Amino acid sequence: MSAITSSPTRPIRTASAAPSFLGGIARFARREFRDAIASKWFLLYTLAFTTLAVGVSFLSLSGVGSHGFAGFGRTAAGLLNLIMLVVPLMALTAGAGSIAGERERGTLLYLLAQPVSRMQVLLGKYFGLAAALLCSLCVGFGISGGVLAWRAGGVGIGSYAMLIGFTALLAIAMLSVGVLISVCSRRSSVATGIALFAWLTLVFVSDLGLMASSLLFKLRVQEIFGLAAVNPLQSFKMAVIVNLNASLDVLGPVGSYASQTLGDGLPWVLGASLAAWTAVPLALAVVIFVRRSSV
Amino acid sequence: MRSTHLLILIWILIAPHVVFGGAGAAQAESISFVESLIERATDGQEVRVPAGVYEGNLVIRKPIVLDGSDGAVFDALGKGIVIEVLAAGVTIRGCVIRGSGSDVTGEPAGIRVVAPNTIIESNTIQDALFGIDLRESPDSIIRGNTISGKDLDPGRRGDGIRLWWSHYCVIENNTVRGSRDMVFWYSEGLIIRRNTVIDSRYGLHFMYSHDTVLEENDLLSNSVGVYLMYSNSITLRGNRMRNNRGASGYGIGLKDCDDITITGNALLANRVGVYLDNSPSSIDSTGIFESNMIAFNEIGLLATPNTHDNVFTRNAFVENEEPAATHGRGRLVSNSFALDGVGNYWSDYAGFDLDGDGIGDVVYEPQSLFGAMLAREPNLRLFVHSPAQQAIEFTARALPELRPQSTLIDPSPLVSAPKIELAIADAKLGGARMGIFGAILLSIAAACIAAMGIERGLPQTRTGTRS
Repeated sequence: MSAITSSPTRPIRTASAAPSFLGGIARFARREFRDAIASKWFLLYTLAFTTLAVGVSFLSLSGVGSHGFAGFGRTAAGLLNLIMLVVPLMALTAGAGSIAGERERGTLLYLLAQPVSRMQVLLGKYFGLAAALLCSLCVGFGISGGVLAWRAGGVGIGSYAMLIGFTALLAIAMLSVGVLISVCSRRSSVATGIALFAWLTLVFVSDLGLMASSLLFKLRVQEIFGLAAVNPLQSFKMAVIVNLNASLDVLGPVGSYASQTLGDGLPWVLGASLAAWTAVPLALAVVIFVRRSSV
Repeated sequence: MRSTHLLILIWILIAPHVVFGGAGAAQAESISFVESLIERATDGQEVRVPAGVYEGNLVIRKPIVLDGSDGAVFDALGKGIVIEVLAAGVTIRGCVIRGSGSDVTGEPAGIRVVAPNTIIESNTIQDALFGIDLRESPDSIIRGNTISGKDLDPGRRGDGIRLWWSHYCVIENNTVRGSRDMVFWYSEGLIIRRNTVIDSRYGLHFMYSHDTVLEENDLLSNSVGVYLMYSNSITLRGNRMRNNRGASGYGIGLKDCDDITITGNALLANRVGVYLDNSPSSIDSTGIFESNMIAFNEIGLLATPNTHDNVFTRNAFVENEEPAATHGRGRLVSNSFALDGVGNYWSDYAGFDLDGDGIGDVVYEPQSLFGAMLAREPNLRLFVHSPAQQAIEFTARALPELRPQSTLIDPSPLVSAPKIELAIADAKLGGARMGIFGAILLSIAAACIAAMGIERGLPQTRTGTRS
């Protein structure tokens, strides 16, 4: 069945009403957002993330923690692990399904027939998905914020807000990678597979590999820090810890080196790594998608 | 109407300057006025200094009571020592003392004392390189002073309170902020209680100072809470060390100290809770750690491999990132983790207690593969708090041949945390702000969904094709 018959009340805009560049993007973003929040993955991820976040907040504040000794730091340490596992998975798979899914179903052809450029289509989908992801995170953090308020009092609101900010940055960076994967894949299943592989690499393989190399090759602290900061997940983790502790001393000699050499610039360097992971894959995806002559 | 508003605005902007400027200009006086007051006083007499700012350096050469509680401010204008005490039996009370020199060579102080039996109480010392500096001033009392250091790098600051060769002094209810150390050199038989040290280097620092009791001090956000070096027979009771996390940050650090007793202290969220460096150093000495709460530190107990003859009993090791670790390789087995069949509580203990006597039936042996890797290569600490760390620990659990030797053995671990009176106020309840923040996040999500979901753009192709 075609799309038109499924929604007879919604008029299709004709070429005479061709929207502006941003207007076109916004229109596609809105559509993508609507599709995303109506889909099962969004519901599932939101539910999973919220449950886990609430669970971590609750458990980390039980027992002695409820006296507020640990403050927000302990909750954050628990949330960090959770975020580093779940958020990249959400964003990568969401991104991976975006273009490849439409391509597989044949609906990409329909989208490209609209009076908009290919770039507008891609960016629209990207921003729509990003908004949906951020909504999902807002729900999870909002409810666990309620738990923190109930159990721990108003501790560390600034830190909590920064944690959310960096998580959002991590999410859109991973979404960029997902979209890049999607643009290059013919089939949705292939894209998802590659996305899962990328997730495994970023979360486990690169860290374990870096650990092994620093043991084998006796890497110097600056080399370890440089290599770690390339990984968006490590950058995210370090940025959150800098924000919580005002330095990276808890991360041993490498952290102390980073804090001493970069000083106040450290969060910016780490943020720049995340920003690069957002911008570069997205730009690549746009270039590849626009240059493609076929669907 | 508008012009009156303007006038009010101008008045608000100007008024504070007028008031403060006028008062300051009228009351700045030379220190010679105070000198003449002291000149006229007889030995032991009280000199009440009237309100005002007295500029210059004051030297007290006879036993008097200097009382500045009417509002006397002593300001050395950034040169030398503000008040120097040369006579025995002087009392300085209720003064505001500020503006010592900042050149570290002369060690300028807010108050320097070189005579015994001095009482320094209820003063406020600001912007001084050293706060209170006692040199060979035994039997003195420092009580209820508030001291804040100069705004310098921690390495360039002076000490908030320093005792040098001053035995039998009482230091109580003082607050030191943004200083280097509260440090005790070669001073014995001190009583140090209910002091607060915040944002400094070492909260309480002992060098070659023996036979002292430290009670109920609060050491918060310093590099190190309490650092005892080469000091014997010291008791720490009911102190609180929180959030001391410099590059080598410890709640309590002990270096070559004999006969130390540490009971009922709270060591919370420090980089390292307790650090032992060759302490005790003598063969026949024992260090006793009883009923301390050691929680939420990166490392609960860190000790050099040669550390021996410490006894740990009834302590609660709660949710430390690593409960215990060796500084370098080796194990902590020359220390006892139980006394008379009573061990400690370890929150990661996974044993059981069939006979219900409160003592676990399985020994506690922490075996962390990641911890062992850290001991070998400290740089790997970069990877804590990450899923990769969890993966390594999981691997070690799954493959026993990868499990490292345990750092310690507690033969009779407690199955529930012992009751420890911590004397710490609970965190403020009623996190209304956090609640509101959570509600705001939720409403952002709701607003997004509402705004974006409203039908304005293209039709929903995806749902269409699925049907």
